[in-house]
Amino acid sequence: MPSNIYIVDDDESVCRALKTLLMTYGFEVRTFNSAQNFFDAVPNDEPGCLLLDIHMPGLDGWETQKLILASGSKRSVIFISAEKQDSALDRALKLGAIGFLQKPVNGQTLVDLINVTSKIKDRD
Amino acid sequence: MKKKINIKIRKAKEPLSKKRTPLNLKDRVLQQSNELKEGADREKQGADREKQGADREKQAEEQILIRNKAMEATTDAIFIIDAKTPNFIITYANLSFQNITGYTKKEILGQNYFLLYGPSADLRIIDEIKKTICRGESFYGEMLKFRKNGEKYWCLLRIAPVRDSKGVITHYVGIKSDTTLMKQRNLKIEEQREELLHVTRVGKLAEFVSSLAHEISQPLTAILSYAQAAQRMLKDREPQLQEILQYIINDDQRAAEVIKRMRYLLKKTKPALEPLDFNVIIQDTVSLILPQVTAKGKIVKFELDENLPLIQGDRIQLQQVVLNLISNSLEAMEENKDSHELIIRTSCKDADTILVQVKDSGSGILPENMKKLFTHFFTSKPDGLGMGLSISRSIVEAHGGYLNAENNPDRGAIFYFTIPLNKKDDL
Repeated sequence: MPSNIYIVDDDESVCRALKTLLMTYGFEVRTFNSAQNFFDAVPNDEPGCLLLDIHMPGLDGWETQKLILASGSKRSVIFISAEKQDSALDRALKLGAIGFLQKPVNGQTLVDLINVTSKIKDRD
Repeated sequence: MKKKINIKIRKAKEPLSKKRTPLNLKDRVLQQSNELKEGADREKQGADREKQGADREKQAEEQILIRNKAMEATTDAIFIIDAKTPNFIITYANLSFQNITGYTKKEILGQNYFLLYGPSADLRIIDEIKKTICRGESFYGEMLKFRKNGEKYWCLLRIAPVRDSKGVITHYVGIKSDTTLMKQRNLKIEEQREELLHVTRVGKLAEFVSSLAHEISQPLTAILSYAQAAQRMLKDREPQLQEILQYIINDDQRAAEVIKRMRYLLKKTKPALEPLDFNVIIQDTVSLILPQVTAKGKIVKFELDENLPLIQGDRIQLQQVVLNLISNSLEAMEENKDSHELIIRTSCKDADTILVQVKDSGSGILPENMKKLFTHFFTSKPDGLGMGLSISRSIVEAHGGYLNAENNPDRGAIFYFTIPLNKKDDL
């Protein structure tokens, strides 16, 4: 059974490209242009890994992750942003995310990280 | 007519007849004593006049004395040169002249004034001074001079000719002010201004590169993902296309590397935190740009809270914010010729936060620009980069505060920001 992936990024081109790439790995992918759209469409308990951009109008990535944590959801989150690696990775991990990848992100690296999250989930 | 003349003659005759024909002894004694008294009165008047003259002399002497003392007391050097000799001989020099030049009275009096300039003096300036005063004109100029011990000092010199009643130049009078301290202070202000402008320029560039990096990373992400997706889709097929896709991937990663390096070169330094009095930051910053403010005919008014608590912050970065807001306000006021006043206010927002406001009476912010005001590359100025306000906001946010703007109800805009006394952790 293919795992679900959600992508939240205000850049449509990024959404479409990442979706195309991840689909070649057999993932089921849905994209959203804002965190609000994602919250409206996907219930907290619906399984699936979230790829989350940081700089977005409205709710930014950090605030979105805080809301997810506050809702009690156990969703695995991977931040994907053009933000600099050193400070952002630290902050992402502190916020309970699985990881942080700097754009432009290499497909295989991303998929490896997603697979790690599903292994963690399996162990749970 | 006749009558009047007669009366006058009679009146004039009367005392004479009285003098010549005394009636009795008593009258004679009385008359003589009167005469004596008159004489004494006359003498007294004369003495009074003499006394008055003496008083006047004394007053004049006192005035001269006071003038001399004043000349000795002033901190400017005053000197007089004899104009009738060709050698510019000094006939008078006050105490400050000795203090400033370092020469004693003995070495100064009777000496050629220009010889006191020392061997390192600029001969062209000496020549110009001589020519000017010999033409009967006043000389005015600021120059570098040397004390007796060779020490350099800046001096503001004025020399003017003194003429006698016939208009002939008899002397030259000179005043020298030691402007070294003022010069040093100006130089220091200039250095600080340069430092701030440099940091601002670097900050703008860093912010520019950072936003450029962010904007370019998006399409690079898409290109890389598409190419990698296509590679996977064509797995074990179309080797030529595979190769092309690999080139696309390589070049995409090369571009990403360039951005990374550029960012590394201009990485923002972490704020160097120290306890700061924001009122001082504001006053320091304003003193750096005061020349521009006054040149534009504007006034900066301070409404500073004297009991403002100290905050933890980076001095240069916060000065950048203040400088940026003031510059913006000045530019906004430039269009309105009748708006002059810029108000900078500090206050305590609450026990743990200070509030700084910069209020102008300029053209205000268009409602459609309000939302975009703090975003990168947004500018309403023809030659603006659109970096200033976004940098200012990131600096304020890095200090744990927020920066915002509003239009005033009457005219112009107000920019305000908060800085907490103790910055809380990011999370």
